[in-house]
Amino acid sequence: MTNQENKYQYDALVIGGGIAGGEAALNLASTGYKVLLVEKDLSIGGKMIMLSKVFPTLDCGACITTPKISEISRHPDITIFTETEVTSIEKISEGDFKVNIKKNPRYVIVEDCTGCQQCEEACPVSVSDEYQYGMVGRKAIFIPFSIASPKAAAVDIDSCILCGACERACPTNCIDFTQKTEYIDLNVKTIIIATGFNLFNPLLIPRFGFGKYKNVITSMQMERQLAPTRPYNTILRPGDGKMPDRIAYVLCTGSRDETIGNPICSQICCMYSIKQAQLLMGALPMADVTIYYIDIRSFGKGFEEFYQQAIGMGVNMVKGKIGKIKEKENGDLILRYEDIDEGIVKEAEHDMVVLSVGVLPNSDASGYFKKEELKLGFHKFIYQPDSLISPARTSIEGVFVAGTASGPMDIPDSILSAGSASSEAISYLIQQ
Amino acid sequence: MMKKKIGVYICHCGTNISDYVDVEKVRKAVENEEGVFIAKTTMFACSDSSQKEIIEDIKNYGLNGMVVASCSPKLHLNTFREVAERAGMNKYNYVHANIREQGSWAHSDNKEGATLKAIQLVKSAIAKARLVHGLEPNVISAKKSVAIIGAGVAGMKAAISIAEKNCPVFLIEREFFVGGRVSQWGEMFTTDETGQEVVTRLYNELIQKPNVTLFTGTEVIESSGSIGDFSLKLKKKPRYVKNVCDHDKFQKAIDVCPVEVPDEFNFNLTTRKAIYHNFPSEYPHAGVIDIDNCTRCGLCETVCKDIDFSQKEEIIAINVGSVLVASGFDPYTPKNGEYCYNEVENVITLPQFKRLIELNEKELLFNGKKIENIAYIYCVGSREPEGENTYCSRYCCTSAIHAALSARKKFKNIINLHFHRGIRTYGKQETLYYNSRSQGDIYIQAEDGTLPEVYCKDGKTMVKVKDILSSGREVEAEADLVVLITGMVPRSNNTIGTILKLPKGRDNFFNEIHMKLRPVETFIDGVTICGACQGPKNIMESVNSALAAATKSFSYINKGELETEPVVAEIDPNMCTWCDACTNACPYDAISKVSADQKIYATINNSVCKGCGMCLPVCPEDAIQLVNYSDNEIESMIDALAQG
Repeated sequence: MTNQENKYQYDALVIGGGIAGGEAALNLASTGYKVLLVEKDLSIGGKMIMLSKVFPTLDCGACITTPKISEISRHPDITIFTETEVTSIEKISEGDFKVNIKKNPRYVIVEDCTGCQQCEEACPVSVSDEYQYGMVGRKAIFIPFSIASPKAAAVDIDSCILCGACERACPTNCIDFTQKTEYIDLNVKTIIIATGFNLFNPLLIPRFGFGKYKNVITSMQMERQLAPTRPYNTILRPGDGKMPDRIAYVLCTGSRDETIGNPICSQICCMYSIKQAQLLMGALPMADVTIYYIDIRSFGKGFEEFYQQAIGMGVNMVKGKIGKIKEKENGDLILRYEDIDEGIVKEAEHDMVVLSVGVLPNSDASGYFKKEELKLGFHKFIYQPDSLISPARTSIEGVFVAGTASGPMDIPDSILSAGSASSEAISYLIQQ
Repeated sequence: MMKKKIGVYICHCGTNISDYVDVEKVRKAVENEEGVFIAKTTMFACSDSSQKEIIEDIKNYGLNGMVVASCSPKLHLNTFREVAERAGMNKYNYVHANIREQGSWAHSDNKEGATLKAIQLVKSAIAKARLVHGLEPNVISAKKSVAIIGAGVAGMKAAISIAEKNCPVFLIEREFFVGGRVSQWGEMFTTDETGQEVVTRLYNELIQKPNVTLFTGTEVIESSGSIGDFSLKLKKKPRYVKNVCDHDKFQKAIDVCPVEVPDEFNFNLTTRKAIYHNFPSEYPHAGVIDIDNCTRCGLCETVCKDIDFSQKEEIIAINVGSVLVASGFDPYTPKNGEYCYNEVENVITLPQFKRLIELNEKELLFNGKKIENIAYIYCVGSREPEGENTYCSRYCCTSAIHAALSARKKFKNIINLHFHRGIRTYGKQETLYYNSRSQGDIYIQAEDGTLPEVYCKDGKTMVKVKDILSSGREVEAEADLVVLITGMVPRSNNTIGTILKLPKGRDNFFNEIHMKLRPVETFIDGVTICGACQGPKNIMESVNSALAAATKSFSYINKGELETEPVVAEIDPNMCTWCDACTNACPYDAISKVSADQKIYATINNSVCKGCGMCLPVCPEDAIQLVNYSDNEIESMIDALAQG
């Protein structure tokens, strides 16, 4: 570990390189400010870059994200640090924040890596691929995913056996095991927090059998199966590789549920499930798709029409909450639920179950602040003291929030909220 | 002309294209076309790594023409133009071929046909690429000022934000008072601040900004020019009351006025005089005479010297670099007889109900009768299976529940019965729904495909619904008051849209270019939209979009100059005979008459021309060409398509 006394100076620090952080950084940079964008992951793009198509227009997620990512990464006034976390922030005075960041080693010199993947072939270690949500494996040295930015390899040092095979295979000698964790001090004038959200972990609801029954997957895993950069190149159920033809969606998994501590609605699951159902009907024309719901919340522009379109396509909508899921010997699943329309408890058999997991707060950012308190709201999202009139303001002047760090939001709302945060940040910078 | 060295890139678009189009076959079919130097396929042409690869190729091989066959140019024409530019190639030497929307997606039932069509489309793009020649963008200077249409919460917030960036703002409000719809609301979710308090806060902030000019009672009646320099003509109606006015005397004038008309501020629940204040905290703080209803009896003048009937309508001209539209919405007005509206007197709308809560103090009275049982009927004018408004109005579930809770809090013995079609309290608003149920509000959902009915029985107002929880059994309830939860509709008076030529979506709200990529921009360069004029939104969402639009409008003009497309019409003065046909065809007033060398001919204003091409076909002399889309270029494309 080294502690470098580097002095860096930026106008704005944007924490989080997802779609909200990226949009905010672009807005600031195109107004002429110098921006540092810090992302803890190996690639910018956040969760959106992992998505297949996005509702309600069915634009392909990558087609919208990649050019934006490209614009961010080549903008002369935006500096990007990936695999970097914020360790502490101290407000010295208005317009002066002292920040310490921790840049983790990637063990690859990004500038020299051509993304040829020869290191991946040479590496003998296979582990579960978190970017495909555990559905396939990857090597201990790997390119996160095909449209990652930067598109460069990284070493997963916890899994690496230090055999050196990758170093020998690399044609540009860009693998560097001598890289060390760097701590960097810097000064910024304003901060935008765009740290996004966490997905609900369905292991917390054991009666749904996630982790135990192989054909119960999460909606993010289905998203990956439907994406252009998908792991199987088709839709398969993980248990036996069979193409499913009776797929069930369990909405509100981890949302509107006091028992797991999240009483609020996640705002996006109805729509992404309806979208996936439509895509599945295209990919598997013979498959039946059933959505079990409490209320359908298709509230945004074009959403209700999108929902009606799904019904028109033959998606089966059942109002009823799933009580329990059981597995049959052949891997099929039996869902026990109350059919509200008929008023009786029923069982239905499906060969694959998708849990539409909800949005949980990522409250990491509140831990960065040493002197001031970055307050969290009742639901542990970042507190908005003036939520009606200045939704981007936080409890600390000069620190603004963009996207799902302040609450569940869909993509258009995240982008607008990023516009809002950057507008407030620009005003703050001008007034300093 | 220098012989072209063209690079051709055919995109898989993940699988969006390659699922139906044999991308490799397309590459092989075009690699030997005249002018093609290199032809490649790529997974995502728009991704950073592919962009870098294209740039390398352009530099290494000295390419001077480029074709990318991918998605619609609406999405990525500019992306690839910029790629060309970064590689040092003139960006107008780039030609886009759309083989996704026009190929793979349109012909997903016929892979061979889709491939064949893709080959033809790419060949025609190559044909054009052989002929195109570099262009330079028009650089125009931009006025550093913004006009904001509508001083509701969105417009006021946008004005404050732009003014804070040291940029002059003209805030134009059609009504005599600012605050829009929010000024009419009482306590609001989630902060329990009242609408009045929110508007007060914004107004106080606004008037401290020296670079904001506020016009009330003022409408835009004409717009010309384009991004960087819009000329707006404003019509300012007189208040007939002097700016500085003695409050007590003005009150006397109100007292003596004999004319009573329904008060729109209270959604016609009450009346006001023809001379009136808006409400206790009106902004700006000045009364007004409603001249349409005034009988000119002159009584007010006798008690208040600050009445001034000599005031005249003013026409004001302003010039701005960008226009931000925040013109808001209208609450849906039910048709006569829709759930007995206007037929049974105790059927009112949600906005009326909210005013009713504000207007009553100890008891909830309507037409003198005490109200206890209240039935709320949701989705009136929204989610209509048959009607015009198929969309969900987004704000109404939360707003209705909040109003019902406010009534319960303020008055005794209130019983709230909600007849809904699935409650949509998305996000954190769910807690409100939870609170409402735990306080005893009753929710009855209509079976899918059915709607509640309102009718009179023995002089009582009844609501009947097929209840989803009891397998469609009919549930009937008596109501002292029926509240129709009405949604948002576009403004009925939407002249600003016509004046600025703003496109509308299928829901008739103003439409943005792209919900995710360009959510506050419109196809009219330099004009942004925000708030509920682009679709239903709650206050926080309106404010977020207002600030996003403010950032965008500001970024257009803050450098003082901007570049516009050089793809404009060009008139050959030697061929033009000045028949005036083109000026009539031009929707942007970009063509004017000039006389020089004893000849009269038409000429194009390059900064106004959008390159739409409307003038081309009407020219009897064929004197007009569209740069980058000349007859030559188009004919070469048609030839390539025809040859297959």
